Amino acid sequence: MIEFFQWVLSGVLLGGLYASVAAAFIVIYRSTRVFNFAQGELLMFGGFFVYTAAVTMDLSKGLSIPLAMVTCAGLGLLIERLTIRPLIGQPLFSVVMVTIALMLILRSISMLIWGAMPLRFPDLFGDEGVSIGPFRFSASLFYGFITVVVLILCLWWMFGNTKRGLTMSAVAEGHDVAKSLGINVRQSLSLAWAIAGVVSVIAAASWLSGRSINYLVADIGLRAVPCALLAGLESIPGALLAGVIVGVSENLCVGYLDAYTSGGMSLIVPFFIMLIVLWIRPQGLFGWKIIERL
Amino acid sequence: MLPAGVLTESYSQDKAIIRTKFRWCAFFGFLLFLAFLPTFISRAWLGAISLTAIYLIAVLGLQVVVGFCGQINLGQSAFMGVGGIIGCVAATKYHVPFEISLLIGGAAATVFGLFFALPAVRVKGFYLALTTLAAQFVFDFIFVRIPPEFFGGLYGGLHVDSITLLTGHTVTSHEATYYVMMFLAGLFVFFTLNIYRSRLGKAFMAIRDNENAAGVMGVNVTYYKFLSFVVASFFAGVSGVLMGFYMGWTNVEQFSLFLSVWMLGMIIVGGVGTVLGAIMGTVVLRGLQEAVNVLGPYLSAVFPNLASAVWFPMMNLIIGVIIVLVLVFEPRGLAHRWRIIHRFYWLWPFPY
Repeated sequence: MIEFFQWVLSGVLLGGLYASVAAAFIVIYRSTRVFNFAQGELLMFGGFFVYTAAVTMDLSKGLSIPLAMVTCAGLGLLIERLTIRPLIGQPLFSVVMVTIALMLILRSISMLIWGAMPLRFPDLFGDEGVSIGPFRFSASLFYGFITVVVLILCLWWMFGNTKRGLTMSAVAEGHDVAKSLGINVRQSLSLAWAIAGVVSVIAAASWLSGRSINYLVADIGLRAVPCALLAGLESIPGALLAGVIVGVSENLCVGYLDAYTSGGMSLIVPFFIMLIVLWIRPQGLFGWKIIERL
Repeated sequence: MLPAGVLTESYSQDKAIIRTKFRWCAFFGFLLFLAFLPTFISRAWLGAISLTAIYLIAVLGLQVVVGFCGQINLGQSAFMGVGGIIGCVAATKYHVPFEISLLIGGAAATVFGLFFALPAVRVKGFYLALTTLAAQFVFDFIFVRIPPEFFGGLYGGLHVDSITLLTGHTVTSHEATYYVMMFLAGLFVFFTLNIYRSRLGKAFMAIRDNENAAGVMGVNVTYYKFLSFVVASFFAGVSGVLMGFYMGWTNVEQFSLFLSVWMLGMIIVGGVGTVLGAIMGTVVLRGLQEAVNVLGPYLSAVFPNLASAVWFPMMNLIIGVIIVLVLVFEPRGLAHRWRIIHRFYWLWPFPY
C-alpha cells in the first residue's frame, strides 16, 4: 500500500515537471496561437545557459540564474523576431513547419556549441532526499515541484488579472480585432516569447539540478505535449492538473506494467492519453472551444 | 505554359502531361540521359542517386497527403519503417519474391497508417501534426519490443538479401540497383501525376482549400482524408522496403523523427502541392546531404569537440535554416521559382 502511494506521490512530483514545460507551451499558444514544437529545445538552452553561467563562467547561483533568464528571454525574442514575425498571416502549415525547423536548428546549435557528451549540471537544492512520513523523494523533484506550483500560480494571476496578461489573451483571440482596438500586437507576441524563455530557465534549473545535461534533455518537450493537450492549450492552471494526471499514470505504469513490457510502457502511456484526448475532446479539459464557420 | 497555337479538342488532350512534339523529344532525351548515366558517373554517385530515388517515392506519398490534401503528416518515416521492416522480413525470412514483398510492405504500412488516419477525421492543423508525431513514438515502442525471432529488434537489425527480380536476374551491382530504383521512382512519379489530374486529386485539393466548403459541395471528406493517408503510407511502405534492400539491413533507428522532418523539408523546399516540387526538393536536399558528407573532414576540424559526429548537427542545422529561409522568403518553393523563370524565358521580351 505504501508502495502504491509512493508511486502516486512521486508521479505527482513528476507531473510538476511536465506541467512546467506544458506551461511554457500554453503561454505561447495562449498569446500567439502558435504551437511551439521547439519548446523542449528552449528548455535545453535555458539549462545550458545556467550551466554556462554557473560552471564555465563560475558565477554564484544567485547571479547565474537571473543572467540565464535574461539570456533565454533574449533568445525567445530573437526567435520571435526572426522566424515568427515574418510569418504573421501565413497559413498554419508554414508556422508549424517553422517551429519544427526550429527544433532542428536549436538542437544542432547546442550540439555544436556544447558538444554531445553529458555535462554535470550544478546542484541547486542540495543532495539529501526529502522525507515526509514513510515516503522519500529526491530534493530536486520536491523543491522543483514547489517552484513550479508557485510559477504556475504567478502566470495564472498574470494572465487573468493584469492588464498586460489580458491584452495578450485578447491578441490570441484575434490579431485584427486586437489591432483595431489599439493593442500593440507585436509587443504582445515578443513579450509572450520572452516569458516562455524565462519559464524555460526556471523549469530547467529546477529539474536538472544535480543531474547531467546534454542535447537529449530537449526530448522532454515532446513528452510534455500530452500534458499540454490534456490541459487545453489556453489554460495555465489546467497544466498543473493535467501534469499530475499524466505523471501519476506514467509512474503507476513504471511501477506495475514496465516489468511486463521490458520498460517503455511508461513512455508510451502519455501518448495514448494524448490520442484519447484528441479523439474524444480535442480542446482538452479546460481549453477554449473554437467554432468554425464557412 | 504552352506555345501559341497549341489547342485542345478533348478532355483527355486537356489533361495530358506532355502536349507538344518538342516536349515529347525532350522527355525521350531525358530518358536516354538517365539510361546512359551509369556509363559516365562514378559508382558512389550512382549509389547516392539510387538513395535519392528511394526517398523520392516516400516524399511523393508525403506530397499527396500534405500538398494535395492539406493534412500535416509528421509520421512518414514511421510508415516507411513499418513497411520496410515487414516487407524485408517477408522477403528474407519467408522468401517472398521481391515484387510481392514491396506490396506486402506497402500493405503493412497502410494498415499502420490507417490507425493514425483515424484522428485526421476529427482534428486538423497542428493537432494532426501531434497525432502523426505519436505514430513515430508508437512505431519505436512496438518494433523495439518484438522478440528477435520475428524481426531483428533494436540490436542486430535484420540482414536483407539482394533483390531477385521475377525475371530471375539477381541485382547486386550498383548499376543494376540504379536501374531498378529509377524505374520504380519513375513509376511512382507517374502514379502521383495521375492522382494529381484525376477526380481523386481534385477531391484532395478541394479538401485542402476549404474543408467545410468541400463537404458542403458533396465531397466525402472523411473518405478522401482516409484515402490520402492510405496513399501516403503505401508509398512510404514501398520506399521503406526498397531502403531495406538498398542498405542491406533494416533497423528501427534508420526511421527516426528527423527523417520525417527532413522529408517535410524536402516538400517545403521544392514546393508544396506539385509533383515537380517533390522531385526538386528531394534532389536539392539529398544533394546537400552528399555535400555535407564530402565536406565532413573539414567540418570536423572546425568543431573539434564533436569530431566525427559533426555530420548530424551540421546537416540538421543546414536543413533547418533552409526550411526557415524558404518559408520566410519563398513559401511556394523552388518549383514556383522555376515556373517564373520558365515563363520569363518563353515570354521574353514581353512581361506576360
